[in-house]
Amino acid sequence: MWRWVRQQLGFDPPHQSDTRTIYIANRFPQNGLYTPQKFIDNRIISSKYTVWNFVPKNLFEQFRRVANFYFLIIFLVQLMIDTPTSPITSGLPLFFVITVTAIKQGYEDWLRHNSDNEVNGAPVYVVRSGGLVKTRSKNIRVGDIVRIAKDEIFPADLVLLSSDRLDGSCHVTTASLDGETNLKTHVAVPETAVLQTVASLDTLVAVIECQQPEADLYRFMGRMIITQQMEEIVRPLGPESLLLRGARLKNTKEIFGVAIYTGMETKMALNYKSKSQKRSAVEKSMNTFLIIYLIILISEAIISTILKYTWQAEEKWDEPWYNQKTEHQRNSSKILRFISDFLAFLVLYNFIIPISLYVTVEMQKFLGSFFIGWDLDLYHEESDQKAQVNTSDLNEELGQVEYVFTDKTGTLTENEMQFRECSINGIKYQEINGRLVSEGPTPDSSDGNLSYLNSLSHLNNLSHLTTSSSFRTSPENETELIKEHDLFFKAVSLCHTVQISNVQTDGIGDGPWQSNLAPSQLEYYASSPDEKALVEAAARIGIVFIGNSEETMEVKTLGKLERYKLLHILEFDSDRRRMSVIVQAPSGEKFLFAKGAESSILPNCVGGEIEKTRIHVDEFALKGLRTLCMAYKQLTSKEYEEIDRRLFEARTALQQREEKLADVFQFIEKNLILLGATAVEDRLQDRVRETIEGLRMAGIKVWVLTGDKHETAVSVSLSCGHFHRTMNILELINQKSDSQCAEQLRQLARRIKEDHVIQHGLVVDGTSLSLALREHEKLFMEVCRNCSAVLCCRMAPLQKAKVIRLIKISPEKPITLAVGDGANDVSMIQEAHVGIGIMGKEGRQAARNSDYAIARFKFLSKLLFVHGHFYYIRIATLVQYFFYKNVCFITPQFLYQFYCLFSQQTLYDSVYLTLYNICFTSLPILIYSLLEQHIDPHVLQSKPTLYRDISKNRQLSIKTFLYWTILGFSHAFIFFFGSYFLIGKDISLLGNGQLLKPNHQMMFGNWTFGTLVFTVMVITVTVKMALETHFWTWINHLVTWGSIIFYFVFSLFYGGILWPFLGSQNMYFVFIQLLSSGSAWFAIILMVVTCLLLDIVKKVFERQLHPTNTEKAQMYSNTVALSDEFIALQPLSRARNQLSKLRWKKIRVQSAQHMNLLKASTEGRTVGTC
Amino acid sequence: MKKASQICQSKLPDNTALKQQQLPAYRLQLSATGVLSGFFATGAFCLGVGIILILSAKSIKEIEIKYTKICANCAELREDAINFDKECTCSIPFYLSETMQGNVYLYYKLYGFYQNLYRYILSRSNSQLVGTDLKDVGNCAPFSKSHNGTPIAPCGAIANSIFNDTIILSYNLNSSIHMEVPMLRSGITWWTDKYVKFRNPTAINLSSAFTGTAKPPFWSKSVYELDLEDTENNGFLNDDFIVWMRTAAFPTFKKLYRRLNRVQYFIEGLPAGNYSFNITYNFPVTRFKGEKSVVLSTLTWSGGSSLFLGLAYTVTGAVTWLAAFSMMAIHLMLKEKRTLFIER
Repeated sequence: MWRWVRQQLGFDPPHQSDTRTIYIANRFPQNGLYTPQKFIDNRIISSKYTVWNFVPKNLFEQFRRVANFYFLIIFLVQLMIDTPTSPITSGLPLFFVITVTAIKQGYEDWLRHNSDNEVNGAPVYVVRSGGLVKTRSKNIRVGDIVRIAKDEIFPADLVLLSSDRLDGSCHVTTASLDGETNLKTHVAVPETAVLQTVASLDTLVAVIECQQPEADLYRFMGRMIITQQMEEIVRPLGPESLLLRGARLKNTKEIFGVAIYTGMETKMALNYKSKSQKRSAVEKSMNTFLIIYLIILISEAIISTILKYTWQAEEKWDEPWYNQKTEHQRNSSKILRFISDFLAFLVLYNFIIPISLYVTVEMQKFLGSFFIGWDLDLYHEESDQKAQVNTSDLNEELGQVEYVFTDKTGTLTENEMQFRECSINGIKYQEINGRLVSEGPTPDSSDGNLSYLNSLSHLNNLSHLTTSSSFRTSPENETELIKEHDLFFKAVSLCHTVQISNVQTDGIGDGPWQSNLAPSQLEYYASSPDEKALVEAAARIGIVFIGNSEETMEVKTLGKLERYKLLHILEFDSDRRRMSVIVQAPSGEKFLFAKGAESSILPNCVGGEIEKTRIHVDEFALKGLRTLCMAYKQLTSKEYEEIDRRLFEARTALQQREEKLADVFQFIEKNLILLGATAVEDRLQDRVRETIEGLRMAGIKVWVLTGDKHETAVSVSLSCGHFHRTMNILELINQKSDSQCAEQLRQLARRIKEDHVIQHGLVVDGTSLSLALREHEKLFMEVCRNCSAVLCCRMAPLQKAKVIRLIKISPEKPITLAVGDGANDVSMIQEAHVGIGIMGKEGRQAARNSDYAIARFKFLSKLLFVHGHFYYIRIATLVQYFFYKNVCFITPQFLYQFYCLFSQQTLYDSVYLTLYNICFTSLPILIYSLLEQHIDPHVLQSKPTLYRDISKNRQLSIKTFLYWTILGFSHAFIFFFGSYFLIGKDISLLGNGQLLKPNHQMMFGNWTFGTLVFTVMVITVTVKMALETHFWTWINHLVTWGSIIFYFVFSLFYGGILWPFLGSQNMYFVFIQLLSSGSAWFAIILMVVTCLLLDIVKKVFERQLHPTNTEKAQMYSNTVALSDEFIALQPLSRARNQLSKLRWKKIRVQSAQHMNLLKASTEGRTVGTC
Repeated sequence: MKKASQICQSKLPDNTALKQQQLPAYRLQLSATGVLSGFFATGAFCLGVGIILILSAKSIKEIEIKYTKICANCAELREDAINFDKECTCSIPFYLSETMQGNVYLYYKLYGFYQNLYRYILSRSNSQLVGTDLKDVGNCAPFSKSHNGTPIAPCGAIANSIFNDTIILSYNLNSSIHMEVPMLRSGITWWTDKYVKFRNPTAINLSSAFTGTAKPPFWSKSVYELDLEDTENNGFLNDDFIVWMRTAAFPTFKKLYRRLNRVQYFIEGLPAGNYSFNITYNFPVTRFKGEKSVVLSTLTWSGGSSLFLGLAYTVTGAVTWLAAFSMMAIHLMLKEKRTLFIER
C-alpha cells in the first residue's frame, strides 16, 4: 500500500528490468513462457493535480511556504491558549490568502487538464483483430500496431513496420522535437516492409526487445525477432526505424508502426522536464528576511518570557494585592504556564511578520504582469501578437538577469534563408525581386547595368537564346557569359542533397509548369537551409530543380527538362568543408560540381577568376552573409573510370575506410575551375544586433545555444554582433577523448590569461561540451566566465538545459534567462530562471511552456531594461517597506511590555491590530508597487548600463535590509518614547483640551496612549512611503492622502459608537478625546517630523556624495541637462554661459519633440494594423 | 482608434495612459533647493513653536507632595490587611509662596501601581457598568462573586482596587482660621463616560437597584453609598470611580481628584499662604513598594507643566537648521567642483 502511494506521488520509479519485450499486436506466446510486463498507457499528463488530490496536495504545497506555515502555527496557538489577541486576527487573513492562491492554481491546472485531454483524445487508427479500429490516442497500448497517414503526428514512439513504399521507407520531420526542418528517412526491417495491408499485418508474429525508455532522441537499440515459417529471424533495430512521438510524417501516404514507448515514457515526454515551480531571487531573499524576522520574533518572545519570570520571582510583582490570580492560574502547572506565556508573547508579536506581505506581493505580481501584455512597444504588428505572461511570479526576475541563453534559428534570425548575392566569374550580382542585377561596372559591358537576369527573363519569354536583344556586346562574349551563368546555376541546382516533396513532383507532367514557373509552390526540404535557399534561388532565376528519382536529377532550364544522371555524391563533412556531385549530363558529358567554404574550394582551383572571387567572398562575409564557392570540372570518361574505381574501393574498404575515402575525395576534388560564389543571408530579426549590444552593456552575458552546425552558428553569431570581428575566438570542438578535451581547455585558459586585453569568444560543440562537463567542469566554467560571448553549437535539447543548469549552480548562482522558439528549446526554457518563448514559426510549444512569450527577440530589451527594472525596484521596495512598517508597528508593543510587567497587555486595540496591515497602510504601497517609475522609461531603455545598478539583487542586499530594519526600529523608538515622555510622564499635559473644549480636563488611559502611538505611526509610515515615491499620479495622491484621511475618519467613526457586537468598549471616544487636545497635535507633528527628517538627511547626503548611476540619470533626465557631447562641442570659455541659457530652451524643445514623436509612433501603430 | 481595433479584432493593446504606464504624473525629486528650503522652513517652525511652548509652560505652577513617608504610621498600619477598618488620618501642612492663578486642579499620583496589567485591564464588566446586567460578571475573575456566590457590583480587579484615600485641602488664613478650600468633585471625567458608558441600573432608589449584589471585597461601603449627598455622583456614576476605571498607561500616573471651586477667596485661584492636606489614609502602597503623592497644578492652553514638548521642538528645530547648513555647504562645494570640471 505504502509503495503504491509513493509510486503515485512519484517518489519511487516502478521496478524495471533493463529491457522490455514487446509482443507485436499483443500476440503473446501460447506456451505461457513469458512474464507479462506492465507498461503505462499513452496518456500525456502535464497537469499537477487531480480532483481527488487537489485539496491536500495544494494545501501541502502552500504550507511549504515559510510564511503560510508560520501563520498556520500562530493560528493554532491562538486557538489553543488564552492569548491577548483573538484567533480571528490571524485566521481570517490566512484563510483569505490560501483560498485566493488555491483558486488561482486550480484554474491554471484546469487549463492544463483541458489541453491534456485534447491531446489524449485525438483520434488514431489501431490495427486490432484484423481490422482498423478508430480509437483515442490515450488508448494506445504498448504493442499496438498504429496506422499513421500523411502529415499526421505520431502519437507514441513507434517502430516502423511498413510504409506504402516497397522498400519500407518513410520521411519524417522532427521540427517540433529538435528544431531540424529537413526530412529524415526512416526504414523498416525488410521482413515487415512487405506487410502493407492490415490483413497481412495480422499474420505477423514478432517480438521486439529493446531498452527501457531514455531521453536521448538519437539513441535506440533493440532487435526484432520475427517468426516466419517456424523460423526465427533476428533483425537489429536502430534509431533509423524508430519514429518519435511529436514528429510528423511527410511525403508518405501511410505507415504502420508498433508502439513501444507510450505516454510519459516517450522520448518527447522524457525530454520535457517536469515543471517545477520557479521562484524568483526576490522571493528567496524574502524568505531569508522572513527567517531573520522569525528569529527576531522568537528572541523577543524569549526575552519577554524570561523577564516576566524574573519579575515574578519577587512576590509583590507576581501577585500584587490589586491583581490577584484566578483559581485557574493558581492551579496550572509551572511548565505549562511557562510555555503558554511564551506562546502568548509569540502571538502578541507575530505581526512583525506580515501576512499581508504575501497577499500584496501576489496581487502586485498578478496585476503588475498585465502591463507587459498591454505594452504597445511589445506588440508585433505583422504577426498581430502581443506579449504574453504565463507566470506572474517572475516579473522582478526580469530585472536580475545575468546570463541570457538564446536559441539561434527563429530567435535571433527570422528562420528564413534568403539568397542575396553571387559572384559569377568575377562579376558580382545582386538578386533584386527575383532578378539578378550586376553590381558596379562590369568589365564586359560599356553601360554597366547589363543584367543577366534581363537576358534570362527575355529568354524565358522567347524561349530562344539568340534572339535576345539585351546583349549588346559581341556575340562570342554573350554566349560565353550565358554559358558561364548557366553552368553556375546548374552547379547550384545539382550540387546539393535537397529533397523535394513528392506531391508537387507528381504534377510535373501535367503542364501548368510549362508556361508559368511557380517555384514557390515547390516544397524543398534540406538538412541545410543554405542549400534550400540556393536551390530556391536557382529556381527563381530559371533553373529549377524538380526532383531526384533514384539515379537521376531532373532540372528544368528555362522550361526545358534536362535529366542528369547522378553518379556519385561526395558527402559534406566538416573537415573538408565541401561537397561535390558527379553527374552525367544528357549530352553524355560527365561533370563534377563542388560546393564549399571558400577556404576549401579556392586552393583546389586552377581556373576561373580566383582572385576577384576571393575579394568578393570577403566582401560578402563582411556584410554578414554566408558564403559558398562553386567550382566544377569536366571529366573525361577515362578520368571518371578511375574515380569510380577508387571510390568503390574506398567505400568498401573494411579498414580505415574514412581515411581512404578522404584520400580519394582529395584526389577527386582538385584542379577545379572556379565558377563563382554565392552569398546567402539568414535574415536576422530586426534590431538583434542592438539588442545584444544593449544586453552586453547591461552586464549580461549572452550565450547562443544552437543545434546548428559550427560554421553556420559562427557566421550568424558574427552577423548578429554576438561575436565581434575584433574578438579572439577560441574553439573547443570535435574533442573525441577526455584527455584531449582537458588539454584543449587548459590551453584555452592559458590563451585567455596571456591576452586579457581583448575580448574572447568561445565556440563549443555538443560532444566536446559533454566531455568538458563530465570531468572538467571547473576548468570549463573558468574559461566560460572569462569569455564575453559563448556559442554552443550542435546541442541536443537536454544538453541546452544541462548547460543552463551548470551555470545556475555555479558558485555565483547567477540568474539565467533562456529565449527560444522551438519545441527543442522547451527544456532549456523550463530550466532557466526565466524562460522566454518567441512566438515564431515553429509552433507554440515554446511559447506555451515559457514564462513570458514575446513575438520578437528585440522586445527583450524593453522587457528587461524597462519592465524588469521597474518590477524589481517596485517589489524590492515593497518587501523592504513591509518589513519596515511592521517593525514600526510591533516594536512599541514590545517596548510596552517593559512598562506593564510583561503581562502581555496589548498597546493597540485589537481592531487596529487587525486593520493596520489590511486597511491603513496597504493601498499606498500596493499602488506604489504597481505604478512607480523611478526613472523615465525612455531613459532606462536608452541606457542599458542602468541595469547594472540593480544587478545581484542589490536593492535587497543585507545592507539595505539592515538599513530598513534599523530605520524601522528607530522610528518605533521615537513613536514610543516620544509619546511616553510627552504624555506618559505628564498626564496633565493632555489633561487639557482648552483649544477645543475650554475647562474640560480629563484623564487619558492606556488606550489613549496606544492610539497616540498608532496615529503617529500611521502618518509616519504613510508619509515615508510618499517620500519613496518618485512618480506621483493622481492615484498615488488619492491613496496616500486617502489612507491618512481614512484612518482619521475610521477612527472617529469606530470610536464614536458603542458597537454592540464588539465585546470591548475600550476605544469609545478615545480618538476624539485625543484629537481635542492641542498638545496631542503638537506631539504628533513633532514625532512625524523627527522621524522623517533623519531619513531625508541620510538620503540627501548619500545622493550628493555617492550617487549611483540611476540617481544621476534621475537628476539629468529631470533637468534635461546638456548632454556631454554638447558641452564638449562648445568653446570652453563659453560653455558655462551657454549652459544656463540653453538649459531652458532645450527643455521646451525636447519635450515638444518628444511628445510629437510619441503621438506619431502610437498613431502609426494603430493605423498600421488594419 | 478604438473603433479600428474593434473592427479588425486584433490583439492590439489599448493605447490608454494607464495601460501604457503613461499616466500624467509629477516626478518627485529631492532637488537641492527644495530640500534646503524645506529644511529651513521646518527648522524655523520647530524653533518658533518650541520657544512658545517653553514660555507658556514656564507660567505653570505646580506643587507635589509625596505623603507615603510623611504618613509613615498610617502606611505601616495599611501593610496588614487585617487593620482595614481602623481609620488613620494624616495632616500635611505646606506653604504656597505664589498665588496659583486661574483654575487649579488637585490630583493624586501613584508610583509603581500597575494599572496596565493584562488581566487587570480585562477584569471588568461593561454590561454591568452600563447598568443593563448586574449579574454579568464574566471577565471579572477573581473578583466576580463573593464567598456566598452573589455577584459583586462593581465586579473585577479594577473596581476592587479603587483609590480610596480622602484628600481635603484646607487654607490657613491665619493661625486660628482654618477653612476648607471649596472643591468640585464633578466634571472631572469624560462626558461620554459619565453619560454613556456608566449608567446606574434603573430602580426607585439606588440601594434597591443593587439588591442581590455584594460590594467588592476591598471596599468599605457599597457602591450606592459612594456619595449620598449627590445622586448624580452616586453608584456607578461616581466621578472618582469613573476616573479610576480609566486605566492608566504606565505604572506612574496621576489622576484628577478635584478641581477648585472658584468662589470667595478663591476667585482668582489659590492665594499664597499656608495650607494643609488632611488625608484619610486608606490605600495601601507600601506592600508593592509604591508611593502616593498629592499634586496641585494649574494649566495653560498648551497643557501641563512639562517643558519636554517645548524642549523637543527647540532641539528638533536646531538640529534641522544644522543639517540644512551642512547640506548647503556640501551642495555648494560639489557645485564648485562641477563647474571647475566643466571649465577645465
